[in-house]
Amino acid sequence: MAAQGGTVKADAPAIAIAGLEKHFGTLKVLADLDLVVADKELVCILGPSGSGKSTLLNIIAGLETADAGNVTLGGKRVGYLFQEPRLLPWLTAERNVDFALQGCAVPAARWGELKDHYFALAGLSEFRNYYPHQLSGGMRQRVALVRSLCVEPGILLMDEPFGGLDELTARRLRVDLLRIWRESRKTIVFVTHNAYEACYLADRVVVMAHGRIRDEIAVNIPRPRDYDDPAVFDVNRDVVRRFLAAAELQPEHASALPPVPNPVSHSPGGLP
Amino acid sequence: MGLRLASIAGAIMLWWLLSLAMPANLLPGPVVATVTLYKDLAQGDVLPHLAITLLRVTGGLALAMLIGVPIGILMGINQRAEKVLDIWVMVGLTVPSLCYAIICFMLIGLNEAATVVAIGLTAAPSIAINLWEGVKTIDFKLVQMAHIFEVGRARILLRVLLPQVMPYVMASLRMGLGIVWKIAVLIELIGRPNGVGFKLFYWYQLADMAQVLAWTLLFTIVMLVIELGILSQIEKRLFAWRPRVGL
Repeated sequence: MAAQGGTVKADAPAIAIAGLEKHFGTLKVLADLDLVVADKELVCILGPSGSGKSTLLNIIAGLETADAGNVTLGGKRVGYLFQEPRLLPWLTAERNVDFALQGCAVPAARWGELKDHYFALAGLSEFRNYYPHQLSGGMRQRVALVRSLCVEPGILLMDEPFGGLDELTARRLRVDLLRIWRESRKTIVFVTHNAYEACYLADRVVVMAHGRIRDEIAVNIPRPRDYDDPAVFDVNRDVVRRFLAAAELQPEHASALPPVPNPVSHSPGGLP
Repeated sequence: MGLRLASIAGAIMLWWLLSLAMPANLLPGPVVATVTLYKDLAQGDVLPHLAITLLRVTGGLALAMLIGVPIGILMGINQRAEKVLDIWVMVGLTVPSLCYAIICFMLIGLNEAATVVAIGLTAAPSIAINLWEGVKTIDFKLVQMAHIFEVGRARILLRVLLPQVMPYVMASLRMGLGIVWKIAVLIELIGRPNGVGFKLFYWYQLADMAQVLAWTLLFTIVMLVIELGILSQIEKRLFAWRPRVGL
């Protein structure tokens, strides 16, 4: 579990989380959670349902507040791709993107260029004037991705964005996501319960269970990656084994685990 | 559209057949009713009464929306408001329109203000209930999405929440119109010296069934024109984005 030191680059991390805690009533959702994400790193957080993954993302995004701890962001806009596309159904794909561009106060002079670029990158140039209900589930999620990218976030949070899609569509979108990521190079925190998806996408897989980070696995497969690369299967086998071990640990036994080393000093800055 | 026309033609046929089976003064046929209506129209007696009824309907509906929409929205978004208000909405719904009319006439006087208030009060609870249910279906995940894209409160209200509520506002407007029409004629019958309700009552007292049917026919046609010609057209424009479900 010393992998973390290797991934933190010389420049400031994109996300530094220290001692994060969150309760819902008496339920402890996040317990003393530390996580550092390097600039331009693609981290997958792997965890079973109810492990606190989404809550973690919501806190990073500022949608929820933590009960204790710090989240320090590298001064960049945070984008969020939800599990559902969350498009406004009464606006066309393009108008949905405009809605975000206007909200984020992107200068109007740049809209055309940004939209052309990202719609093309997502293979949606022909569908800009379609309403969400006229598009398939996969295409809607692509529009949501375009919308997230157009506002040029430094950090992109993704909460099981392909979880609601059929496997074939999801697979295509994973491949596309890596291609787009290679071209736009954002910091991505990708939450999933699909181990293979995590291994295929990530620089580093972080295993979460019962509100804690239990394990980390660096994925040292060179990019561009082939979806069916045997190396991904190998890492997947290892990750699943460690994922199961972590998930089976009961919360009360959590203290028996050695704490994950935290290389970042607790910065005094709160949410930006 | 073809089916609709066929259905209307069928109903007129049925009316005609029934009129053949009954004495002419008890149930005049569609032709007699139409001719009577045409004669009334030619005499110039119809339009002033129709106009004053339409005015009362419009005023009453506006008042009902002004009361019902805010109450419905408040009940939909605030649980405390829901607990305080739901019993009163139920009570409001239970009280017969005749009671509102009589109370308003006694309190405010036999005038137009009382008429409009009575109409508004009767229809408001139904409108409130419609919106209450509608607001509950608002997708607050879209609000979260808007927060992510740094959209301000005013724009969230205008561009995320309002479009979700609008279909329910339109639906209550149409439903409200249906209710308000019926109350308006009833109230005219008991307390106004003019209007469609007054004329209906007048012909009832003279036991002139052809006239009663003529006025009912007029009323129905005007109502359909407003409903299909105006309201459903507005709705079509407003909600063009919605997936088309066969009508």
